[in-house]
Amino acid sequence: MIKLVIEKELREIIGSTKFAITFGVCAVLILLTFYVGAKNHQLNLARYEAAQAENLRKMEGLTDWIRVNSHRIFLPPQPLEALVTGVSNDIGRTIEMRGRGELASVDSRFNDDPIFAVFRFLDLDFIFQIVLSLFAILFAFDAINGEKERGTLRLSFAGAVPKDKFILAKLIGSFLALGIPLLIPILLGCLLLPVLGVHLTGDEWIRLGLVILIGLIYFGVFLTLSIFMSVLTKRSSSSFLALLVIWILAVFIVPRSSVLLAGRAVDVPSVDELSYKKGRFRAQLWQEDRSKLSEYKPSTDKDPEEMMNQFNKFMQELADERNKKMQEYSNRLNEDRRSKQTKQERLAFGLARISPSALFSLATTNLVGTAITVKQHFLDEAHGYQQTFAEFMKEKTGMNLGGDVILFRMKRGGDEEEEKPINPSELPEFEYHSLTMTKVLNSAMIDIGLLLLFNIVFFIGAFVGFLRYDVR
Amino acid sequence: MFATLIEKELKSIILGPKFVATFIVCSILILLSIFIGVQEYRAAVKSYEAGVQLVDEEMQEATSWMGMRNRIFRKPDPMQIFISGVNNDIGRFANIRSTESIKLTNSIYSDDPIFAAFRFIDLGFIVQVVLSLFAILFTYDAINGERERGTLGLAFSNAVPRFQYILTKFIGSWLGLIVPILVPILVSFLLVIAFGVPITGEHWVRIAIFLGVSILYFTFFIALGIFISALTKRSTVSFLLLLVTWVTFVLIIPRVGVMSAGKIVPVPSVAEVDGQIEGFSKGRWDEYMKVLEKRLEEREKMMAGMTKEEREAYRDKHLWDWMEENDALRKDVQSDINEFSRILHEDIRNRKAVQERLGFTLSRFSPASAFQLSAMNLAATDIRLKSRYETTLEQYHKDFVDYVEKKQQEAGGAMGGIRISFSSETGLKYSFGPDKGSLDTSDMPRFNGINRSLSNIFAPTFIDIALLIFYSIAAIVGAFVAFLRYDVR
Repeated sequence: MIKLVIEKELREIIGSTKFAITFGVCAVLILLTFYVGAKNHQLNLARYEAAQAENLRKMEGLTDWIRVNSHRIFLPPQPLEALVTGVSNDIGRTIEMRGRGELASVDSRFNDDPIFAVFRFLDLDFIFQIVLSLFAILFAFDAINGEKERGTLRLSFAGAVPKDKFILAKLIGSFLALGIPLLIPILLGCLLLPVLGVHLTGDEWIRLGLVILIGLIYFGVFLTLSIFMSVLTKRSSSSFLALLVIWILAVFIVPRSSVLLAGRAVDVPSVDELSYKKGRFRAQLWQEDRSKLSEYKPSTDKDPEEMMNQFNKFMQELADERNKKMQEYSNRLNEDRRSKQTKQERLAFGLARISPSALFSLATTNLVGTAITVKQHFLDEAHGYQQTFAEFMKEKTGMNLGGDVILFRMKRGGDEEEEKPINPSELPEFEYHSLTMTKVLNSAMIDIGLLLLFNIVFFIGAFVGFLRYDVR
Repeated sequence: MFATLIEKELKSIILGPKFVATFIVCSILILLSIFIGVQEYRAAVKSYEAGVQLVDEEMQEATSWMGMRNRIFRKPDPMQIFISGVNNDIGRFANIRSTESIKLTNSIYSDDPIFAAFRFIDLGFIVQVVLSLFAILFTYDAINGERERGTLGLAFSNAVPRFQYILTKFIGSWLGLIVPILVPILVSFLLVIAFGVPITGEHWVRIAIFLGVSILYFTFFIALGIFISALTKRSTVSFLLLLVTWVTFVLIIPRVGVMSAGKIVPVPSVAEVDGQIEGFSKGRWDEYMKVLEKRLEEREKMMAGMTKEEREAYRDKHLWDWMEENDALRKDVQSDINEFSRILHEDIRNRKAVQERLGFTLSRFSPASAFQLSAMNLAATDIRLKSRYETTLEQYHKDFVDYVEKKQQEAGGAMGGIRISFSSETGLKYSFGPDKGSLDTSDMPRFNGINRSLSNIFAPTFIDIALLIFYSIAAIVGAFVAFLRYDVR
C-alpha cells in the first residue's frame, strides 16, 4: 500500500506543470551557480596570482634583504569558497608581513569592489536557503488540505488505506519526487567543475558532498514543515500564508535580528579603541627606551663601523624587549575582545539557531571554511608564517627587522661592485591550511543535528496531526 | 458602480484573514527594522565620535610634527537607518599621512564578521523582498480567482464595462494594500523622531522620495499580479508564474547582471595595484638614495684636505642648503610616487565605472534592481560612497600634508624624533627633537565631510525612477489589455 501511495505522489508531483516549471528554474539556477562559481574562482585565482607576482616583482632589483620592508601575504581563494561564499568577501585578504609585531588583515573584496556588495553573489547557500526552501513550500503547502479541498483525500480513504501509511507515503513520496530530481542538476554542476578547470581535492569533494547533503536535509525541513502545516490547517490558502510568513521569518528575519540584537546586548570594544590603547602603550614604551638610549655609550668612539654595529645590537635588544611587552599587552587586549566577541557570537548564533536557514548557513559555511572563524584562522596561519619569515630574514640579514626598529648601515666606496640582486623567490612561501575536516565537522555538527531534529519534529507533527485529521 | 466595485475590492482585501496576518507581519518587520536601524546608527555615531576623539587626543599628545598622521572617519548618515546599502561593506576610515595614498579601510563587516554572516535588515530590504512578495500574494488570483469562484461571471451579469472593472480592481487593490502599509511606515518615522535621530529637512525630502519610489515599486508588483492573473485561467498557475518572476526579478537578475559585468570587464585587485605602486615607489626611492650618496661623496670631496675646524665651519655654513636640496629631492620623489599612484587609481576608477555601468545596466532589467539602486542613491549609501569619500579626502590629504610641512618649517626645520650620527671625529651623537610638550593643532585643517546638493543626490536616481514608472505602466497596460480579452465565463 505504501508503495502505491508513494507512486501516486511521485506521479502527481512529477507529472504536474508546477514541477516542470520549478524544476526547470531550479536546474538552470543550480547549473548557473556552479558555472558562475567556477568562473569566479578562476578570476579570484588570477587576481591572487597577480597580486603575489606583484609582491615579488617589487623586490626585484634590490641588492639587500634588509631593504625588503614590505612583504605581503594573501588569503588564497579556495574552490569551494565560490560555491558557499559566507563571509569570505567581507574579511581582509591581505596581510602586511613583518618579522615581529601585530598583524592585521586588510582589503576585503567588498571594500575593494563595492559593486559586488550591492546584490552579493549567487551561490549554493543562496539557492538552497532561499529558492529551494520556497519551492519546497510551494509543492507541499496543500499536500493534505489541498487533497481535502479537491475531494481526493476522501476518495483515497474510501479504500482500506491506514492513515499512518498514507501520511508516511506522502512524506516519503514528496521528498523523493522533489529531492531526487534536484540531485540531477547538482551532480551535473559538480561535473562542470573539472570541465571548467576547477579541480577539487578528495577532501574538498567530501566537503561539497556534505554541503549538498545538508542542503537536502534543510530542504526536508521545509517539506515536512509544509506537510505539517497542511495537516494543521483546513484551507490550503491558510497553510500557504502561514508558511510564507514562517519562511520570511526563518530566512530573512530571525538570523539578521539575532545578530543585531546580540550586537547590542554584548558590548565588544571597538577596533579603534584597541588601536588607541595600543598606540598609547607603544608611545609610553618608546619614551622609556628614549631614556635608555640617552644613557647608552658605545665601548669605542673612534671606529664608526664598530660604533654602528654595537648601536644596532643595542637597538635590536631594545626592540626585542619593547616588542615583547607590546605583544603581551596587545594579546591581553585582543584576548579580552576575542572573549567578548565569542560571547556575542554565542548569543547571536544561539538565537539565530531557532531558524533552520541560519542552521543551514552556519553548517555549510563552517564546512567550506567561509564562516566567521576564517578571519581568525587566516591571522593564526599568518602568525605561524611570521616566525618562518622572521627566521629567514634573520638568516639573510643577521637581524629581525620587524616592529619599530631603527637600523643603521654603512656604505663604503666601491661596495657597488660587490652588490648582487637578491632572489625574491627565495622568500619562504606562505601556505594556507584550511581547518581540518574533524574541526569543521565538530563545529557543524550541532547545526546538522538541529536540522535533523527539525525534520524529525515536523515529521512527527505531520504524522500525529494527520492521525487526528478529519479527512471528510 | 465605480465606487461600489472599489469598495467591494477594498472589503475583500481588508476583511480577509490574509490581510490581518500580512499586515501584522509587515508592521512588526517595519518597526523592528527601524528600531534596529536606529540602534545601529546610534552605535555608529558613538563609535565615530570615539574614533575622532581618540585621533584628536593622539595628535595632541604628539611632540613632533615629523611623521604626523591623521585619521579621518566616515561620518554616519541617518539615512543608513532606512537603506544601509554598502555602508557596512566599505571602509570606515582613511589614514592621512604624506607617505600613504588615500584608502578607506576597515569596514564594519571586516572588523566584525559576525555582522556579515546574515547581513542587515532595513526598510529598503523589507520593501524590496517582503512587500513585493505580499503584493503578489494579494493579487495573483485577482481575476482568475474570481473566475474560479464564479464571482466574475456574476459581476458581469450587470452592465459593468470591462475597462471600469479592471480599473476598480487595480485601484481597489492599490488602496487596500498601500494605505495600510503606510501606517507602520509613518509610525516608524515618528519612532525615528522620538529616538532623537538628527533628521534635517533635506533628509525628510529624501525620505519622502524614497517613500514615493517604494510605492512605485509596490505598484509594479500589484499590477504584475493582476496582469498575470488576467493572462492565466487558473490561480495556481498564475501564482507559480508570479513566484518564478519574483525570484528572477528580486534574486536572480540583479546578481547575474553584476556578476556578468565582473567577468566582462575585469578590474585588477587592490593588492595588485598596491604592489605596482610599491614597486614604483621602491624604484624611485632607490634612485633617490643613489643621488643622495653621490651628493654626499661630492660634499666629502669638497671638504677633502680641510682641517677638522675647517670642515665643521664648512658644514655649518652649508648645512641648511644641503638639507633644503635633499628635502627638495625627497619632495620630488614623493610627488612622482603620488602622481603614479593617482594615475593608477584613476585608471582603476575608470575601469570600475565601466564595470559598474555595464553591471547596473544589465541588472536594471529587474525592477527590484532599479528600486534598490535608486533607494541607495537617495540614502547616499550607493557604491560611489567610497570613491566620493576618497576623492574628497585626496584634497584634504594635500591640505594636511602642506600644513604639517609648514608647521615643521615653522619649528625651525626641527624634524623631531631622534638624530643619531657616527663619526670618527665626534663619536656617537644623539639629539632628540625639541620636546616642547604637546603640539598646538588648533589651526589644523579639518575634514568637513562630503557636501552634496539635493540635485546631486537626485540626478543618479532619475533613470531608476523612470524605469520603475515604465515597468509599472507596462504592467498596468498589460493587465488592462489582457483583461479586455479575457474570457470571463
